[in-house]
Amino acid sequence: MNGRTLAVIYRKELLDTLRDRRTLISSILVPLLLFPLLTLGFGALAIFLAVKVTRDTAPIMILGEKNAPQLVRKLNKERTLEVLVPAPDYAKRINDKTLRAAVEVPENLEERLRTNPEENLQVVVYYFEGELRSQAAVRTIEKVVREYRDEIVESRFHERGLSPDLLKPFVAERKNVASAEKVTGNILGLILPYFIIILCLTGALYPAIDLTAGEKERGTIETILASPISRAELVGGKFLVVLTAALVTTALSILSLAVTVLGGAGLLQQISSKLVVAVSGKAAAAVFFLILPLAFVFSAVLLAVALAARNYREAQTYTMPLMFVVILPAMASFLPGVELNARLALVPILNISLVAKEIFAGNYPWPLIGLIFGSTCVYAVIALFFAYRQFQKEAVLFRT
Amino acid sequence: MIEAQQLRKVFRDKKRGEVRAVDGVSFYCKPGQIYGLLGANGAGKTTTLRMLATILQPTDGTAKVAGHDVVQEPDQVRTKVGFLSTATALYGRLTAREMVEYFGRLNGMENGKLRQRIDEIFTRLEMNEFRDRRCEKLSTGMKQKVSIARTIVHDPPVMIFDEPTVGLDVMTARTIVQFVRECRDRGKTVIFSTHVMSEAEKLCDNIGIIHNGKLLAEGTLAELRGRFGLEDLEDIFVKVVEGTE
Repeated sequence: MNGRTLAVIYRKELLDTLRDRRTLISSILVPLLLFPLLTLGFGALAIFLAVKVTRDTAPIMILGEKNAPQLVRKLNKERTLEVLVPAPDYAKRINDKTLRAAVEVPENLEERLRTNPEENLQVVVYYFEGELRSQAAVRTIEKVVREYRDEIVESRFHERGLSPDLLKPFVAERKNVASAEKVTGNILGLILPYFIIILCLTGALYPAIDLTAGEKERGTIETILASPISRAELVGGKFLVVLTAALVTTALSILSLAVTVLGGAGLLQQISSKLVVAVSGKAAAAVFFLILPLAFVFSAVLLAVALAARNYREAQTYTMPLMFVVILPAMASFLPGVELNARLALVPILNISLVAKEIFAGNYPWPLIGLIFGSTCVYAVIALFFAYRQFQKEAVLFRT
Repeated sequence: MIEAQQLRKVFRDKKRGEVRAVDGVSFYCKPGQIYGLLGANGAGKTTTLRMLATILQPTDGTAKVAGHDVVQEPDQVRTKVGFLSTATALYGRLTAREMVEYFGRLNGMENGKLRQRIDEIFTRLEMNEFRDRRCEKLSTGMKQKVSIARTIVHDPPVMIFDEPTVGLDVMTARTIVQFVRECRDRGKTVIFSTHVMSEAEKLCDNIGIIHNGKLLAEGTLAELRGRFGLEDLEDIFVKVVEGTE
């Protein structure tokens, strides 16, 4: 293998790839726009839903209104509830979703509360289990009922000359000790590894097809095979271009993500004011470093698979199953409770997904990181050898 | 020179089993001469020429091309060969100049020499007006010129043409035929495959008739005429091919 020849091939294939619109879209535009659009989309949706919820009112009924005028007044004051005239077919209406819930107040509730404090009384709320709006209405009703009950308790304490503080000898308070980076990272770590792995694959996909099946389709394969370069140099040059595309896509997606998260922090804080956003540069760099050998694997495997196809479309069909093979282990980061261990560290793709999750959360399990990097490097060498073998086979190169 | 020695190529096909595409083909071709491989589609012309260009490996037998063995030293053989066929397309997203430059570089040419050579070829083939246009935007005639420039940029002593005129219009085909002749006149060893009788008659110093992977008859046009007692090459061809069936 000659370095100068390799450089000549690399330069030409890169130029060729950069002049292909499909590659530009999949390797540069998509990773740059995906995260901003996803965030904006979800953010906008979340705000839209939040606004809609505050504006929407749930129709409810109070059965036995006259038994508890105070409670009725409180329920009427609740902005998200709309109290309808009671009717006996409330259960049917709840089933038909024209009514969200119904509150049944026992006979003479308020009077009995005054006269017989020891009596066990029951307020019943009728609702539709599993129906989101019905449950939302129930939550509001329960809140109002609870407040009403607390008021009664408080007034009873007052009547007996006791302080309501007796009920609360202490309070339990929550305090976050994780840094903003860890808090953000823990949330981001759930979904990010998946996106980064998939983008690394899609970044390599189109160049790989274009430089193999595309070359067959356009009839240039014979032209290049008749030139004095060796097959190893040809595979090498193509491989380096596909690898470049995979890495550029990955780097751009990580960059775009960081910008989106930092820039979109304001937006996120509107949804949860407790969320302080920060992304660690070290984590981003570490994940990129771990993706390196995986990008090797993807590039080599895609080249080998796409070369077996006769044309562009066939290559897309061949690489489709590969997408699923990658998507499933990449989703490991979504699963709660799947913890990284030495055995899982040997499972390709899945290991990167899990360790990236840890890294984003601020944990660096160095021995496992070493194991993952090492094992992925071994897979990369195997994949590269596989690609080289494919380029040696006449039956593959000249499949018609 | 080209010397094919008992070249054989066997493909394994799922449906047809073993296919002997080329079955013991030997011939010799001197510098300054055009050797024409004449045969119907599927006769084994393309496979033979691909083995000479080291794109395919012979199952058996070998060939010497410009002093190098196609099995032992395929990389050296390729530096001595210019290969042109209807299947050797151009990189559409490269410009005419980039295309020729690329193949010059792959042949190890230095920048200065390469630039000089490209200027010379582009002027001779009248390609300067479209030198910076992308190959995909060129007309068929222009594309053929780029292909020719690509084949000769490293000035190879051996030229292999695999049915270079198939599917081309009359004018473009003429440019190619003229170019093949020019290569011979410059002292190159030329091998040329075709199924067009008139082309073979006009161009070839030696003609080999190939059928079902076997070289059935060989000689100059005059020799073939004498041997078979027929004037027309087409009649000779039919007689040779039918004699085997």
